[in-house]
Amino acid sequence: MLLGCRGVGDTLVRLEEYNILVIDENPDRAAIVERGLVESGYTRVARIGTSHNLVERIQALAPDIIIIDLENPDRDTLEQMFQVSRAIARPIAMFVDQSDASMIQEAISAGVSAYVVDGLRQDRIRPIVDMAISRFNVFDQLRRERDEAQAKLNERKLIERAKGILMKEKGLSEEDSYALLRKNAMKQNRKIYEIAQSVITAFQLEF
Amino acid sequence: MAEKVRLGFVPLVDCAIPVVARSMGFAEQENIDLELVREMSWAAIRDKLSYGVYEAAHLLAGIPIAARLGLGGVPVQHIVVPMALGRGGNAITVSTRLYQRMLEADPAAMHGPRGLSARALKKVIDEDRVAGRPVMSFATVFPFSSHNYELRYWMAAAGIDPDKDVNIGVIAPPRMFDSLRNGWVDGYCVGEPWNQRAVFHGDGVIVALKEDIWPRSPEKVLGVREDWVNSNPDTASALVRALVRAAEWADQPKNRAELAQMLSAEANVGAPFEVLKASLSGRPVLRPGEAPTEVPDRHVFYRYTATFPWLSQGSWVGTQMKRWGQVPADADLNAVVRQVYRPDLYRIAVRDLDVAVPKHDWRVEGVNNADDRAFVGPDSFLDNSIFDPETVS
Repeated sequence: MLLGCRGVGDTLVRLEEYNILVIDENPDRAAIVERGLVESGYTRVARIGTSHNLVERIQALAPDIIIIDLENPDRDTLEQMFQVSRAIARPIAMFVDQSDASMIQEAISAGVSAYVVDGLRQDRIRPIVDMAISRFNVFDQLRRERDEAQAKLNERKLIERAKGILMKEKGLSEEDSYALLRKNAMKQNRKIYEIAQSVITAFQLEF
Repeated sequence: MAEKVRLGFVPLVDCAIPVVARSMGFAEQENIDLELVREMSWAAIRDKLSYGVYEAAHLLAGIPIAARLGLGGVPVQHIVVPMALGRGGNAITVSTRLYQRMLEADPAAMHGPRGLSARALKKVIDEDRVAGRPVMSFATVFPFSSHNYELRYWMAAAGIDPDKDVNIGVIAPPRMFDSLRNGWVDGYCVGEPWNQRAVFHGDGVIVALKEDIWPRSPEKVLGVREDWVNSNPDTASALVRALVRAAEWADQPKNRAELAQMLSAEANVGAPFEVLKASLSGRPVLRPGEAPTEVPDRHVFYRYTATFPWLSQGSWVGTQMKRWGQVPADADLNAVVRQVYRPDLYRIAVRDLDVAVPKHDWRVEGVNNADDRAFVGPDSFLDNSIFDPETVS
């Protein structure tokens, strides 16, 4: 089998013949989804962010499949457009084929929704939606890791500040300041940075 | 152990009922752990309710009917409506530029009843046509929204064809006023606070209020999945009771300032307190820089049977769907409305409460007779028409 082609009956349908449009307010996530699709052999992938001339842009791109994050407010605009527009083929929500309940659940929990031109077969849509789902999940994971790293950094900064306050106000050494925070954290069954926050708040209140 | 209920809502003044149910302890008193999630799109709420992410949702009155019919390229979903969530607070706002043109084109219409202000818009549209200018754009919030039907009703009564003489598109509520400010649309119909906000910023003028078009047009409803109600009848009843009590609290003038404060939080509506207060106190500002107008019934959450899911109101939504070609003219929509709007669930839920419940589920709408008015509120359509649900199918 040729790379980038998939056999359907007697005919070969080239994957790159699908026009796929990714609509996402988050350009980083859109780029990750686009790259995933292109790497799988779908070459005609376009992406747009929030756009007030959505109708014109979609008419120009004539997508067979639109991938859009589930919570994007543009979905309300899109659905009305599909209903009234005579200029574009009427796509339908991918949830129409409800035989594939597991895909629907995965898509919802990843935050992916899709609109598909009516008549396009489910087995052709599935790999595209699956790719979007996995890329949304990857993006989510990356974002979580970044947020955690940021939170850790903030915690360290709080502890440093609280130590500074204790050294200045109580005349303790750096080591003893830290030991005091740690002892209180263990006693109260709280995190050290939470105790540090209390120390900072307490001293802020006094001045 | 409290029953967990997750409820999705869109940031609008009429999310007040679920917000109050949670914040003021009405849900807790019914042993419900109510988790509220703010959503920015009706499509997202509909999908999350349909696929079990939420047990309940703040929905536009037309969405459960459209879902039952599988309209709009979305598969059939069995959502039912055990109660209404008040009468909303919709209005039609136009850009200050269009307002000036309407005022010049037909000062008499602009100084007459607000429900007839579209007569001035008609003249502006005629001027544009003669001058060969492109048609104007208006926005509503969803194809199956009362906003869409109210905007079209207001236009059509003045001889405007909403499908030919203007473009009507859809924009999510919190994005409306930016679209007006940026000149992407010339006007819109949306729920508060997104009209009042445009006026406070000097970008828009309110030319008609919902109550100028038809005060009883159904607005938001509580949507729940039919299978969820069937397997959790007691929780569903408790949820309705908590929300009815919250509506009663939210309706009292003495609580409105506190309500405005509550709603202004970013997790709820996320709009300035002053904007919310003006609308909730029944003293909205209709034109930038002018004195407020007294509209005591601007926001009705409880009185006038505002939480009762009237079948005749659902039936009216059905006739508007037909009128604007969203469903075939021969569809039996009253049969669909009977499956979707469930006053029986409401009656069961509130039977032990001191809540005034109507004798019948249907009524002839628009009669506005004095005996009825105290119970159901003012009821005139802007064109004084009468809607008898028995005469439609």
